[in-house]
Amino acid sequence: MAQTGSFRQVSDVSWEIPETYKPGMRVPAKIYATRKLLESMDSGVIEQVTNVACLPGIVRSAYAMADAHWGYGFPIGGVAAFDVEKGVISPGGIGFDINCGMRLIRTNLRYPEVKPKIKELVDLIFRLVPAGVGVKGFLRVSEPQFEEIMKYGVKWCAENGQAWEDDPAHVEEGGYIKGADPSKVSRQARSRGIDQLGTLGSGNHYLEIQVVDPARHFDRELARRFGIVDEDQVMVMVHCGSRGFGHQIGSDYLRVFDGAMKKYGLEVRDRELACAPFASKEGTDYYGAMVCAANMAFTNRQIIVQKVREAFSKVFHRDAEAMDMHLIYDVCHNVAKVENHSYDGTRADLLVHRKGATRSFGPGHPDIPAPYREIGQPVIIGGSMETGSYLLVGTAKAMEDTFGSTAHGSGRTMSRTAAKREVRGAELQKRMLDRGIYVKAATMDGLAEEAGMAYKDISEVVETMDRAGISKKVVALRPVGNIKG
Amino acid sequence: MTFRYLPDVALADIAFEAEADSPEGLFESCAMALTDIMVDPGTLKAKVAREFSLDSGDLDRLLYDFLTELIIAKDVDSLLFKDFSVKIDPGGGALRASAKGEAIDRERHRLRNDVKAVTMHLFGVKREGRLWTATVVLDI
Repeated sequence: MAQTGSFRQVSDVSWEIPETYKPGMRVPAKIYATRKLLESMDSGVIEQVTNVACLPGIVRSAYAMADAHWGYGFPIGGVAAFDVEKGVISPGGIGFDINCGMRLIRTNLRYPEVKPKIKELVDLIFRLVPAGVGVKGFLRVSEPQFEEIMKYGVKWCAENGQAWEDDPAHVEEGGYIKGADPSKVSRQARSRGIDQLGTLGSGNHYLEIQVVDPARHFDRELARRFGIVDEDQVMVMVHCGSRGFGHQIGSDYLRVFDGAMKKYGLEVRDRELACAPFASKEGTDYYGAMVCAANMAFTNRQIIVQKVREAFSKVFHRDAEAMDMHLIYDVCHNVAKVENHSYDGTRADLLVHRKGATRSFGPGHPDIPAPYREIGQPVIIGGSMETGSYLLVGTAKAMEDTFGSTAHGSGRTMSRTAAKREVRGAELQKRMLDRGIYVKAATMDGLAEEAGMAYKDISEVVETMDRAGISKKVVALRPVGNIKG
Repeated sequence: MTFRYLPDVALADIAFEAEADSPEGLFESCAMALTDIMVDPGTLKAKVAREFSLDSGDLDRLLYDFLTELIIAKDVDSLLFKDFSVKIDPGGGALRASAKGEAIDRERHRLRNDVKAVTMHLFGVKREGRLWTATVVLDI
């Protein structure tokens, strides 16, 4: 557990670790946590966030959000912004699962209608959305089409019958990040990714049928702006990323950067923090390839949503349009993007790394789709499959304090190996069914690893971010059906 | 040929430490650990063989590249392996290996985790006397 003796308490939910904490820190590190969350945070977070604070060109502070846990390189739940001219880009600050993210789709169905059919619905989605080790998707694309996907993401989907007209506008960056350069993507990455569109993957990835949970939180006025009006309204949440395509791009460039560090006279405290100047050839090449993976991830989640709409349509015998199955939003939580921010009396373009952290742009920001612009960007925070999730909105304070960033999930407290020692998958599946959550899992081992006890209390994480003012709660969602990769 | 999991490292991922009395044995142990994370090896048969030839410059990077090749084979050709035979050049920078296994069968194989990548967090090969050890954290 974290030793917090030298930390300065900034507020009841934020702490600062000064630059004097370890040699080489260029900026302080800031942690968002209640005292309870801080004291239970694993020591790896402190080590890693202060390592990030040592990276060249970092500005103002390295951040760990309330869901932070020990990752590789950056902590998961980490945010760092770098000067675009003097700073670095680090694959370890993004993660191998480039643009892992969350999608939230609404329906106009109420739980009493869905409850008797939840098993049929979950079983059908499980067949339509492949999950687990080495799965391939149903959508076949040619190599030229795959390059279009790398460049145009959900825009490609909209032009090829794989999206509704208003879907792209409800995805971060309008469905694709500009600057993709497919010429910087290896043959192996293409081979790993081309057959995986529309697949969920494994680990902590899931697809969940959820119900609005007014007992925990329901801001009716804000929720109405997202088309959420009923206490037992049914929603669908998707959590996954760029699959083997992004994983291979991450692996390829980690090797490149590991070799390039010497050339640029760079040293890091963890080899996984290998980095290169953003403005260098290696940095530019990686950014171009990383954007390809980010756009593939947007597409992957889009193809999955099309399958979810198809499943609902089959089970409830009506068009998905008639069930109002519109996308509320799609957020990235493993990515680096160039954004313009004000900080310390200046305004500049910065390369903001978010690894297990969500963009949380406040009201009025031009990058927020028009229907939400005056209330702030939707922020989707996924909890464990037992405890539920939240929809929040971004805030002006996030723009001031964290380069428009907040948490992404509940954050682990227990390793996968330890979780499997605590509970068996089949036992967990039965326990969840008894509590009204029907789970279909690709593997029982994988299910046990994702048990709720392996995670922090999602409500405490969300409450911390809300009290810190860097995102604002809108509605809590509880799971009733779950597909676990 | 042995490996053990490190349950208190990198909570969302899976870390292991492998050891052997030769670099070849070490690579075979690491490959077996990777398989064990993805599938119960007892449910896997050695039906097909795949040859690997890699030149990475040094032993550390060679191990990284070898494990990455096994992950690529899982995604591209749906292959999982259980029997490994590795020959490393005297300089330690290149290898030839053969791996035997079979294509994923969701009915018969007890599948576990879909490994995304080999990270470089804590990654490294060490030699102490006759004992070779490697620490590997895999992204899950």
